Amino acid sequence: MTVPGIDSVDLTTPSASADPFSVFRALREGDPVHWSEAHRAWLITRYDDVSAAFQNKAFSNDRVRPVLERKRQAGAESAATGVLGLMTGWMVVNDPPVHTRLRKLAAGAFKGQRIAAMDEMITRIVDEHLDAFLRGSGPQDLISEVAYPLPATVIATMLGAPPEDRDRFREWSDELALVAFGTGGAARADRHERALRGLREMESYFHTLIGKRRAEPGEDMLSALMAKEGDDRLTDDELVGMCALLLFAGHETTTNSIANSVLALLRHPDQLDRLRRDPALIGPAVEELLRFDGPIKVLNRWVVAETEVRGKTIRPGERVHLVLASANRDPEKFADPDTLDLGRSPNPHVAFGKGIHACIGAQLARMETRIAVARIVERLPGLALAEEPEWKDVLASRSMEKLVVTHS
Amino acid sequence: MRIGVDSEVCEAHGQCSIVDMDLFPLDDDGYSAVGPDREVPEGEEDTAKLGVDACPVRALKVLS
Ligand code: HEM
Ligand code: SF4
Repeated sequence: MTVPGIDSVDLTTPSASADPFSVFRALREGDPVHWSEAHRAWLITRYDDVSAAFQNKAFSNDRVRPVLERKRQAGAESAATGVLGLMTGWMVVNDPPVHTRLRKLAAGAFKGQRIAAMDEMITRIVDEHLDAFLRGSGPQDLISEVAYPLPATVIATMLGAPPEDRDRFREWSDELALVAFGTGGAARADRHERALRGLREMESYFHTLIGKRRAEPGEDMLSALMAKEGDDRLTDDELVGMCALLLFAGHETTTNSIANSVLALLRHPDQLDRLRRDPALIGPAVEELLRFDGPIKVLNRWVVAETEVRGKTIRPGERVHLVLASANRDPEKFADPDTLDLGRSPNPHVAFGKGIHACIGAQLARMETRIAVARIVERLPGLALAEEPEWKDVLASRSMEKLVVTHS
Repeated sequence: MRIGVDSEVCEAHGQCSIVDMDLFPLDDDGYSAVGPDREVPEGEEDTAKLGVDACPVRALKVLS
């Protein structure tokens, strides 16, 4: 089945980045399991199919190892293979049983964190950033001033890094993203080299921090990650990888979750009013904001066994894109999917994924987004959009360059 | 305190298990393996409530 316009669908053009939802609608209606030449991948856009794909064992998360092996076979042992080596150990790019073991060890550490203490810590960090924001006047970027620094500081604090080191976590997070996703342009090779040097530094930083915690365990998550689960524990190299993954997986996503939420509220003044009148709505409100315009558009899977989805044969070696942002707007699952309704319930969105890889940081991410959005709404009563935001032309994430607002 | 899952309603979102994988185990396909009626160990009531609330389709219930 072909539909005019769908054959050349490319989700990374400026117009598709500005309004991906109409492209998703066309795909859902016209060709819900679509082979895209532009992406060299299958685009799966309906809720039921995305949902089933999370349980389908023909789809694998083991995506980095093949790249690394190709590079190694080409005889290129370099800084890049070093960082890829670190990433190959991440649970998010592994299937069971490797995944199962890492996930269990990490879940134990998340479980040990005290919710009330986290709540207090996040509120304090949010308020510090908002204090600085309120001292400024005129149009300011809410992303660079609040949404961007917050999650890196939270993760650094949770890992027990000294406060003076927290800025470096942001740089490392950017460098990890650069190596993981790459960037275009002439500056590419140069920036790549610098990122790789930065990440070497990150590895030795985490090794030192681990050494300190081994000698003197604390209440922090790194100390909890070191603990034994039965007779198993993470090695130092695995701990370094885990720290890097928590930073990488929890930074940009949370930044965009906060920024996209604020934008959606500014575009729906009735819903913003509703939240101001009823702050207790923040829980379901954040779920709805994640559904409506969550930070992840697309997740990748490798195909490792032949499988059929909606009558299309998908073959080993091919790639599949699970379009979360489309599934979350599927009218078969959500009534009036393009309406933002902060009280929506039930709200089984897939912004955090589903199945064995479902976001392990979801509780933390929810807490950060709830506190940040609630505090922004409360402390900036005059909040208004100062310029039209521009969306980054990236496939994986739904991400603005800046969110420039005024507050009085 | 006792909790249970309605397996007709559970859609394998796994959100309960993120709160606590021991209180809210999943089966191999990601569906809740809490069963229709399970005792919550003493002292873990608050965590159990969080996990029940985390379910987006309200498959989990506090029974008593
Ligand atoms: C609103 C913010 C966030 C969103 C929307 C989000 C979303 C996701 C999604 C969709 C996945 C599944 C990936 C897959 O199936 O391939 C995932 C996995 C993961 N997330 Fe998050 N995430 C967020 C914040 C965080 C935070 C704050 C952390 C930790 C500090 C975190 C840590 C992880 C980890 C470690 C995984 C891998 C889990 C596994 O493979 O089993 N995320 N996240
Ligand atoms: S969160 Fe709800 S739907 Fe998901 S596995 Fe747990 S019980 Fe099932």
